[in-house]
Amino acid sequence: MCETLLDVRGLCHSFPLGAGRYLRAVDGVSFRIRKGEIFGLVGESGSGKSTVARCVMNILRPQAGSILYRGVDVCDPAQFRANRRMLQTERQIIFQDSSSSLDQRMKVADIIAEPLAVNHIVPPRGSLRAEAAFQLRYVGMDPAYLDRYPPELSGGQRQRVAIARALTMEPSLLVADEPIAALDVSIQAQIINLFRHLQAEHGFTFLFIAHDLAVVRYLCDRVGVLYRGKLVEMAPTKELFDRPLHPYTKALLSAIPIPDPRRERARTRFHFDEAAFDRTGGFVQVSPEHFVLGGKEAEP
Amino acid sequence: MTADADRAEKLLDVGRLSVTFASPAGAVEAVRDVSLDLAPGEILAIVGESGCGKSALCRAIMKLLPASARVQADRLAVAGTDIRGLSERDMCALRGRLCSMVFQDPMTSLDPTMRIGAQIAEAVLAHEPGMKKDAVRRRVLELMDMVGIEDPPARYRLYPHDLSGGMRQRAVLAIALASRPRLLIADEPTTALDVTVQGQILDLLRDIQRGLGAGAVLVTHDLAVAARAADRTAVMYAGRIVEIGTTEEIFYDPRHPYTWGLLASLPSLAAEGRPLYAIPGMPPTLSPPPKGDAFACRNRYALAIDYDQAPPLFQVSPTHYAATWLLDPRAPAVARPVGGELHV
Amino acid sequence: MKLARRLCSLLLSLLVLSAAVFWIARLAPGDPLVSYYGQRAERMTPEQRAREEARLGLDAPIHVQYVRWLRNALHGDLGVSFKYKRDVVDVIRGRVSNTLLLGGVGFALIFSMALGLGLLCARFEGRPLDKILCKLGTLSSCIPEFWLSLLLILIFSVYLRVLPSSGAWSVDGGGAADRLRHLILPMTVVVTGHLWYYAYMIRNRLLEEVRADYVLLARSTGLGRRRVLLRHCLRNALPSYLSIMAISVPHIMGGTYVVETVFSYPGIGTLCYESARYQDYDLLMVLCLLSGAVVIVCNMLAQAINEHIDPRVRAAAAERAEADGHG
Repeated sequence: MCETLLDVRGLCHSFPLGAGRYLRAVDGVSFRIRKGEIFGLVGESGSGKSTVARCVMNILRPQAGSILYRGVDVCDPAQFRANRRMLQTERQIIFQDSSSSLDQRMKVADIIAEPLAVNHIVPPRGSLRAEAAFQLRYVGMDPAYLDRYPPELSGGQRQRVAIARALTMEPSLLVADEPIAALDVSIQAQIINLFRHLQAEHGFTFLFIAHDLAVVRYLCDRVGVLYRGKLVEMAPTKELFDRPLHPYTKALLSAIPIPDPRRERARTRFHFDEAAFDRTGGFVQVSPEHFVLGGKEAEP
Repeated sequence: MTADADRAEKLLDVGRLSVTFASPAGAVEAVRDVSLDLAPGEILAIVGESGCGKSALCRAIMKLLPASARVQADRLAVAGTDIRGLSERDMCALRGRLCSMVFQDPMTSLDPTMRIGAQIAEAVLAHEPGMKKDAVRRRVLELMDMVGIEDPPARYRLYPHDLSGGMRQRAVLAIALASRPRLLIADEPTTALDVTVQGQILDLLRDIQRGLGAGAVLVTHDLAVAARAADRTAVMYAGRIVEIGTTEEIFYDPRHPYTWGLLASLPSLAAEGRPLYAIPGMPPTLSPPPKGDAFACRNRYALAIDYDQAPPLFQVSPTHYAATWLLDPRAPAVARPVGGELHV
Repeated sequence: MKLARRLCSLLLSLLVLSAAVFWIARLAPGDPLVSYYGQRAERMTPEQRAREEARLGLDAPIHVQYVRWLRNALHGDLGVSFKYKRDVVDVIRGRVSNTLLLGGVGFALIFSMALGLGLLCARFEGRPLDKILCKLGTLSSCIPEFWLSLLLILIFSVYLRVLPSSGAWSVDGGGAADRLRHLILPMTVVVTGHLWYYAYMIRNRLLEEVRADYVLLARSTGLGRRRVLLRHCLRNALPSYLSIMAISVPHIMGGTYVVETVFSYPGIGTLCYESARYQDYDLLMVLCLLSGAVVIVCNMLAQAINEHIDPRVRAAAAERAEADGHG
C-alpha cells in the first residue's frame, strides 16, 4: 500500500451563528490521502468542503480532531513551529477565483516568484525571473506573459498563474478549492488536463474540492461525499459512481446533468429527503476501500 | 402562407441584430449579425462561453442595455410588436407583459431590504396599478404557489436572505411571471445553484412555460442545461450564432467545429483514461473582431478561406444551420469527431 | 430592554470619554494658572504657585483629580471656567443654543439637499444636468469658507444692506424673524462648504445600486427607472449614507468655528478653541462630553434607522445582542 501523505482524523469545526448556536460546518470528518493520488471532496454549497480545505491549510483552526501531514500534526502549535518550513512549502492551495486571489497590482513574474522571495529561498534556476519563466512554461503559458498584470489575462490564464505560483515552492500536496468552477467549458478542459498531467507525470498529490461531479469522476482516484459537514460516503471513484450506497450520494449522482438530450430527459432522479438524514450513524466499511455513513445502508 | 402571416406567428423575431459597446479600447462588437426566431411554447437555448455576447443579446431584446451600447437590427419584434424605435416610456409599458427576464444570481437579483411578498406584489402592480390590496395579495400567493414555494402565506413576509438559493430563484421567477409575459428570457438561471436544485428549477421553468404557452430563451454556458430543457439550441461564439438547430440535431449531429470542441471537452463524455479534448487558445477580443471566421485560429479543421472570409450559415436541414466553410460543397470531407451515439 | 441597554452603553461611552479627555488635557503642555490669573501667574513665587494650585485642586495626582471631578459632576457641579471665572454651565448656556441652531439646521439642510441633489444626479447620470451639477459642486467646494463669508457680507450687508453682517440677534432684540435674518448668511456658508461632499457621496452610492441585478429584474417587470431609483436604490443606499452622516455631525457642527469667527456669531466654536488653548480644563471637559454625547446619540439613531430599513443589519444586531446576553 502506498504511503499516506495526509491523514485527517475526526475533524470538527463550527461557526458561531449567534444566540449561542453554532453551525457545524465540519462534523467528525476523517479521510486519508495517499502520496500521488487525486482525492476528490464533493458536496453542495454549505457542505463544509471549503472549511476542510482551510483547516488542512492552517487557515482555520479546527475545534477538534487532528490533521497529520507526513505524521506531523499541523494543528498542534509546537509541532507546527518545529516543522514550519516543511509545512509552509510542501502544502499549497489554489482558490476558485483567481481574479481576487492574485494581487491585481503585481506583475505575473513577481506573483509567481513571491513565495520564494518571502521564504528567502535561493531560486534553483538562477534568478527569480528565470524561476517564474520556468514555472509559467510548466503550466503551459508563454513567458511573454511575465510582465503582464492579472487584469490583462483571461480567467484560464489567471488560474494557470495561480497554479504556477503554487508550484514554485515544489509542493507535495496541492489543495485545489473549486479551481475550475469559474472557468468556461473549453478552458476548464485545459486546466483539468493540466492537473492530470501534474499528477501523472510529476507525482503531485491533490486534494481536489469541487461540486461538479462530472469533473470529479473524470479526474479523481478516490472521492469523499460531504453533506452538511458529514462525510457520508467514501470510495474509489469507479466504485462510488457504479455502486453508490448512501441515499444522498444516490440523489447527488442522479442529479448530474448529462449533455445528451434523450438520456437526460428519460432518466429518473432520486430525491433525498433532508429530514431523513441521520448524522449519528457510524462510518462503516463495506468493502476494503468503500465506506458509508450509517451501517444499515451497507450491503452484505 | 405569406411571409407576413409567418412573421406574425413568431413570438420573437430577430433579424441581423448587432450590438456595439463604446469602450476606451475602441468599439467592442459584442453581438454581430444575429438572426433567430422563436415560436410560442418553444424553448430556445443559447449556449456559449463568457463574453460570447449571449447576455448582450438578451438585454438587447429587453432593451435594457446601458446607454453606451449601440443596437442595430433589420428586425427586432416581440409578439409582432416592433420594438426597435420604442422609447423608454413605451418599453416600460411592454416589459413584464410582453417579455420579462430571470437572472443568474438570485441573491443579487432580489432587493435585500424588501420582503419577498412585497417584491412580487410590486411586479404585479407594475401593470395594474389600480388593483385592490387583497386581490394583489391573492395574486402574489397564487404566483408563489405556481413557482413551487411551499406555504406561501408564511414565506410572504420573509426577506431574501432568509431563503435558500433555490427558493430565491423561485421568487425571482414569480416576479418575472407576475404580468403573464409572452416571452421569458432566462440568463443562466441555474448557474449559481446546487446540482440537485438546478434540475428542479429547469423542470419548473419548462412546466410553467408549457402551462402558460409562453416562449422562453434560455441562456447558458452549460450544454447539459440545454440538453435537459431546450427544444432548439443555438451555439454562439464571438458574437455570432455559429450553429442553430433542434437540440437533438445539435447534440447528435453537430456540424460546426466549435460545437464539436465543446462537446468533446465535457468530462462526462470523455473516455476513461484519455486526456480530455481541449479547444486550444482562447476566445478572441471583439474590438475589433478578427478577419474571417473568429474561430479559425482555434480550429484544427480551419481552411484557408476561414482566415479571409467569415462563413455564412449553411443549411443542413430545414431547422439546422451551421456557419462553417466545411459545409461548402467545395470543402474537403471531414469525419465528425463527436456526436451520434454518445458514450458516457 | 433595548433602550435600557443603549442608555447604559451611552453612559459607559461618556465615562470612558471623560476619563480620556481629562487625562490627555492634563498631559498637554501649558499652564492653567495663566488662564486664571493672566500675566500675574508669571510673576508668582513658587510658594504662591503651589498655594494657588492647591486652591484650584491642581496639585493632586490626575486620578484623584478625576475622581473628585466625577463626584462633583454627578452632583451637578461641572466646575468653574478658569478663564471666565464663572460656572462653566453659565459660560456655555447662552452659546450652545446658538451653535445648535446654526449647526443643527445647517446639518438638516445639508442632509436633505445632498439627498435631493444626489438623486437628481443619479437619475440623470451622464446627462447635461448631472454634469453641470457635478461641475458646480466641485467649484463650490473649492471656495474657502472665510472668503465666501467676506464676499457675502460685502454683497448683502455692505452694498445691498438687506442682511446683518454679524451677531446672532439685533442689539434691541427682535424675535424669531430677527434670529432668522442673522442666520441666513452664516448658514449659507456652512451649507455650501459641506453640501457637495455629501451629495457626491450619495450620488455614487446610488449609482452603485443602479448597477445591481435587482434593478434589472425590477425594470424587466416594467417598472420605470425613476420608480426603481426611489423605491429600491435609495432604500439600499440609505444605511451607509446615514452612518456617514451620523459620524459627520461634529464635523459639520464643529466646522462652524471659522463661520462663527467671521460673522462674530456667539457660538461655542470659539469657546472650544480657547478652552483647549488655555488649559481651561473644566470648560474643555464639558464641551468634549457635549460633542461626544451628540456623536453617540446620532450614531445610535442611525443604527436604529438602519435596522429598520435593512433586515440584514437587524439580524446582525440581534446576533450581537444575543451574544452579549450569553457572554
